[in-house]
Amino acid sequence: MAFSLRALSLHAGNFQDRYSGTRSGWWAWFLQRLTGVALVGYLFLHIAVISTARAGADTFDTVLIILQKPFFVVLDLFLIAAVLYHALNGVRVLLFDAGIAIKQQALLFWVCMLLTAVITGVAGYFSLPLIFRE
Amino acid sequence: MKPRDMSAPLMSRQEKIITGFWPWFLQRVSGFLLIFLVGVHIWMTHFSGLGDVVRGHQEELVLFEIVKQRLAQGLFIFIDFSLLALVLYHGLNGMRNILLEWGPAARHAAGMTAGLWLLGVGTFIYGAWALLAFIL
Repeated sequence: MAFSLRALSLHAGNFQDRYSGTRSGWWAWFLQRLTGVALVGYLFLHIAVISTARAGADTFDTVLIILQKPFFVVLDLFLIAAVLYHALNGVRVLLFDAGIAIKQQALLFWVCMLLTAVITGVAGYFSLPLIFRE
Repeated sequence: MKPRDMSAPLMSRQEKIITGFWPWFLQRVSGFLLIFLVGVHIWMTHFSGLGDVVRGHQEELVLFEIVKQRLAQGLFIFIDFSLLALVLYHGLNGMRNILLEWGPAARHAAGMTAGLWLLGVGTFIYGAWALLAFIL
């Protein structure tokens, strides 16, 4: 935990954006790392699941049928939200690297959050038949 | 030699030495490419067959035969293998960036980087071996 607390203290302490006066820049940084670490963990699990194909089609299908039950469809929506935020905030960081919209960083953070919520909501809507199927 | 104050941020020159231009540049290139590759992957696995499942034409979104049919097309072989390589690079380089903020890891940056490369290459080989079950 030591490294996490040190990293957090480096970025959180009095870290107010000079233009917006908010800490949205810190939250954007923190959520980028949180979703990044979660996605790396998921990646290794995902590769492990796919590798069940080496045991044959029946084994793969048995595992995948379980992983497409409603509970896991809901978890997939959290995965989609994490991917969306990480990707959108990644584009936000790319813009800053190019010297674009740095003063609008707080606004762009909320645009990322809004788009993540809206697109995850649309994905959730289309997933409803899978969540409530018998 | 005066020991560095570990509570202070890394100095820019030190940071430049242990992070480097190429990991920074490749993190951005891989991230940009992954937006498209992950987008295609999620669409194909979660949404493209949704209508067929809802109408009862297809039992599940992802089954062995469905993945096998997809990977019978050269484009998807290219997409899946590229995705595997890029996502491992991007994810493990991201972990490296986080670990470099931890004093002990930063002091052994070369060893940690080598370890992450080993993990990445090993996982790529394992993942490729898994994907080949659908292709060969």
